Amino acid sequence: MKVSYNWLKEHLALDISAAELSAHLLRLGFEVSEHRRLGPTFTGVVVGKVVSKAKHPNADKLSVCVVDDGAVKRTVVCGAPNVDAGQTVAYARPGAVLPGNFKIEGRKLRGVESEGMICSRSELGLPKDADGIWIMSEGPELGADVGSLLGPADDILEVEITANRPDALSHRGLARELAAYFREDLKPLGAGAAESAKSSFPVAVTDKDACPYYGARLIEGVSVGESPAWLKAKLETIGLRPINNVADITNYILHDVGQPLHAFDADKLAGSRIIVRRSKAGEKLTALDHKTYDLPEGLLVIADGNKPVALAGVMGGEDTAVTAATKRVLLEGAFFAPAEVRKSSQKTRLRSDSSYRFERGADPRAARTAADRATALILQLAGGTAARPAEAAAAASAARPRVRASAARINAVLGSNFEEEAVRRVLASIGDLRDEAGGFQFAAPTWRHDLSTVNDLAEEVGRFLSYDNVPYRMAPMSPRTARLTPVEVESRRVRARLAALGLFEAYNYDLLSEKTLAACRLPGDDGPRVSNPLSEDWAVLRPSLLPGLLKNAQYNLSRGADAVRFFELGKSYALRGKEVDETWRVAAVLLGPVLDSRWQAARSPRASFYDGKAILEDLLDGVGAVAWDKLSAPAAGRTPSDPLFHPANSLRALVNGTPVGTVGWLHPRVARAYDLEGEGAVVIDADLDWLAGRETTAARFREFSALPVSRRDLAVVLDRKTPYERVEAVVRGCRIEELQDVLLFDVYAGKNVPEGRISLAIRLTFGRADRTLTDAEIAKAVETITAALSRELGASLRG
Amino acid sequence: MTRADWEKSYARTESALGQAKIEAAPDLPRLEEVRVRFTGRKGELTELLKSLKDLSIEDRRELGPKAQGLKASFDAAVAARKTALEDQGDAVSLSDDAIDLTLPSLRAPRGRLHPLTTTLHEIARIFQLMGYSWAEGPHVEDERHNFTALNIPEDHPARDSHDTFYLRDLPLLLRTHTSTVQIRTMESQRPPLRVVCPGRVFRHEQLDATHSAVFLQVEGLVVDEGVGLADLKGHLQTFLQKLLGAATKTRFRPSYFPFTEPSTEVDVKCFFCPGTGCPSCKRTGWIEILGAGVVNPAVLKSVGYDERKWSGFAFGIGVERVAMLLHGVRDLRDFYTNDIRFLKQFDESLL
Repeated sequence: MKVSYNWLKEHLALDISAAELSAHLLRLGFEVSEHRRLGPTFTGVVVGKVVSKAKHPNADKLSVCVVDDGAVKRTVVCGAPNVDAGQTVAYARPGAVLPGNFKIEGRKLRGVESEGMICSRSELGLPKDADGIWIMSEGPELGADVGSLLGPADDILEVEITANRPDALSHRGLARELAAYFREDLKPLGAGAAESAKSSFPVAVTDKDACPYYGARLIEGVSVGESPAWLKAKLETIGLRPINNVADITNYILHDVGQPLHAFDADKLAGSRIIVRRSKAGEKLTALDHKTYDLPEGLLVIADGNKPVALAGVMGGEDTAVTAATKRVLLEGAFFAPAEVRKSSQKTRLRSDSSYRFERGADPRAARTAADRATALILQLAGGTAARPAEAAAAASAARPRVRASAARINAVLGSNFEEEAVRRVLASIGDLRDEAGGFQFAAPTWRHDLSTVNDLAEEVGRFLSYDNVPYRMAPMSPRTARLTPVEVESRRVRARLAALGLFEAYNYDLLSEKTLAACRLPGDDGPRVSNPLSEDWAVLRPSLLPGLLKNAQYNLSRGADAVRFFELGKSYALRGKEVDETWRVAAVLLGPVLDSRWQAARSPRASFYDGKAILEDLLDGVGAVAWDKLSAPAAGRTPSDPLFHPANSLRALVNGTPVGTVGWLHPRVARAYDLEGEGAVVIDADLDWLAGRETTAARFREFSALPVSRRDLAVVLDRKTPYERVEAVVRGCRIEELQDVLLFDVYAGKNVPEGRISLAIRLTFGRADRTLTDAEIAKAVETITAALSRELGASLRG
Repeated sequence: MTRADWEKSYARTESALGQAKIEAAPDLPRLEEVRVRFTGRKGELTELLKSLKDLSIEDRRELGPKAQGLKASFDAAVAARKTALEDQGDAVSLSDDAIDLTLPSLRAPRGRLHPLTTTLHEIARIFQLMGYSWAEGPHVEDERHNFTALNIPEDHPARDSHDTFYLRDLPLLLRTHTSTVQIRTMESQRPPLRVVCPGRVFRHEQLDATHSAVFLQVEGLVVDEGVGLADLKGHLQTFLQKLLGAATKTRFRPSYFPFTEPSTEVDVKCFFCPGTGCPSCKRTGWIEILGAGVVNPAVLKSVGYDERKWSGFAFGIGVERVAMLLHGVRDLRDFYTNDIRFLKQFDESLL
């Protein structure tokens, strides 16, 4: 809210600077987000006339002028080329202070005494309009203070008023708060107007809970026109545009005391009556903003005999607005229930200064007094006579609820040690305080809707006596062991692992576009959708983390990166009936050279499927038996990220039949969509919730043999379509007790290996815990193995 | 063999040794030839020593040491020459075998944790030291947990500051703050409790340098007996001084949140300027860092806690904001763009 400091001072005598006031407001919980100074930032500058101009004897570019300031004529040296005799100018006398604390004194310039200075606009801190000195229009008296010709100085403060303090949404409201805080009295408000015995239009209210008070006063014989300068200036200082005297007065009252009012052109109200009722289906209203609103049924409206003429508390209608031709005004001063106004404002998406105040809560007692003040102003500025107001009021509402409290309870909420006396003084300055056994009773004034509990009162005490006076306490509370959730424990392990494996952690948004879903071949039927997306990019909650990572890969490749290794931990979402399932997942993408050091080319190959498989295996270390199935195998089950994977070159890790992770190539169509064709991207997706829930046991030490082991290398040549997995299975299937390890150390096809076949080099490690094996024993074991390989896989040994 | 024969043989060997010029042997193989010629199995010196056995005891006693002396000096000369030749060879290889030590190291690829992760962990770590456990809640929430139970009824203007994403066809929304986890925690645990609830929150807001529609918050909640604003001040000042340095100055000023009463915004003295005002503190000398307050008894009541027995305080911290301050990042969107050149700069070992 924009606050004019001068205006504020009309309600409360304040002798502090606006900057000091801002500091107090901040302590009270009203942050001043902007402070703008209006008016001159100089003193001692008067209107002068250049009587004569002569060349400076010692300088080509200077002239020696004589300036008349109405009292005396003085010699002034001036450097501006546009100075000339006869001009009216801004003359800074010796002793003047210009912006930047620049003091003007008499001094010699090139041997000629200059008594003061003829100013340019920029030297006065004013917007520049032309080069050289400021040539003023004639008119103002010589010697008149230039500063005051520019209008009074003022400070405009942008004060943030929190939603619980609608009472402070006006100059008087804020002054009232400050009066209580400084323990000063508010200045009295102007009186209401004389009224005739004539009646105003009849008023009927159908729902008195929604509109507990409605007053309407007829003012006849007004002449609508421009407002006087003081009123226009006032509205303009707080950024409002003057309209006409009647509208300006209602706006002025709103910002002065916080009560929204509305003025109708009484002659345009059909049936000369006011009905406050619910809107009916199909009713429309063209509001003051020139837009036509289809009113949903059941909104609170002000209607004449025919139709709605205002959305109650929000905005009046254009048809019935006061215009230059208006002769009779019907002035509304009412109190509407906050929820009603909020509902109307939200349903129509129409907001106004009025709705802003009503929906937060106006002062129910202020409607009448504010309307009376507005009436007096209308009579003063637009003429006319006022009738008696017609009023419709709910039965007097019950007395304000009283809060029972005590200084001790308030100090307990704050953890403070404020004196009983100080606590009482604060509360008494805000509302009505009465003694009671063991404490007191407090009743809030009608404009405060936020004071109904002890905690509410504690905040008032804390604000007025300052939060700074509440101690810092580290009380010895019972010690507690801080725990992490299983997902967080696992997340930390996974993050540390993946970062150590060379991956960068990425953060992507949880929302995707429909286009992205399609590009990733995601069906999207089970993706929860947002009903009010920011844009089409934010439509669906992500079913998979991979689209984000692919976007990151594309982004970085297009900016010159040649390797991308990203992972992300986050939630994926799926609809399940009327609910949304959230699953923690970890996903990764690898692409490009594995090592940063490229100069040993052989050591830095591009990331392959097997690098990805290594990472997934790493995450699954310690989970027990992992079965690997081709993604296309029926046993592999389905997960939401599946469509992004290459159907043939992807593997699913299963533990006890549960799919826990997938690694593979990108589906070629998805790769194409992200410009990743031919980049050999490998992607991973795993279930972090499952990882977090898996059972882990502490590692158990096992004795190992101190005896040496024996190694034998075999080169086995077989059909190239034979999966390695089968080779190892056959070797292990021989059930040779002494076989400790099987290691594949080369895969070769080409020269010396027949077409269609492949050579696998396998290292077998043999050993026993109790003795060294003989060559004969090992030879026999190798023979058993080669025989099995030959028999089951048609393998031959390579010479 | 007679003594005279032996002595003749000795003289011949001695002279041959002299001519062999051990100290001038040009290389190790040549030196080895010489060594074998004299002290090999059939070497001249070896033979000479062997033939001592043909002499009488007296002669042996006299001539034996002489022959041994000759061998010892030969061995020493060979060893000395060998060392000299090896040193020469080493000197050559020390210079010829030198590799370019300035080639780049073959570093294992090193990844990075995201700066928001490290910032969040640092925040949570400090609270953990103060006995706060970690709690989480769903991102997709209902009205009750996001608003009503937090004392934000429908038609409450406080909802204006929570521009909310709603789900299509479902009575659900994306949580606008982690305060939802306050409610979830209190629904599932008995007091006393002390938790931090980190996580993503969602606001229907256009993205710019300081606003995001998705961002991270850390919510904190303490419920115990006799807890008041003073405990909030103590805990949060301790936290901020651990996070930002022991000299950090804090300012608690009144504010408004429906779920806390009294409420406060916490500022820290700007650490980019001497309090005189700079762009980082919007020229105020203070930086707003978190919102907090004494838990509104209405909230305790809504989860079935006895609000006469228990009281608490709660707070919420924006993780991006802290990370921006800690790392000097100016545009919040950088955290979600995942540019490698950005992410590379945040080494968790430096935090």
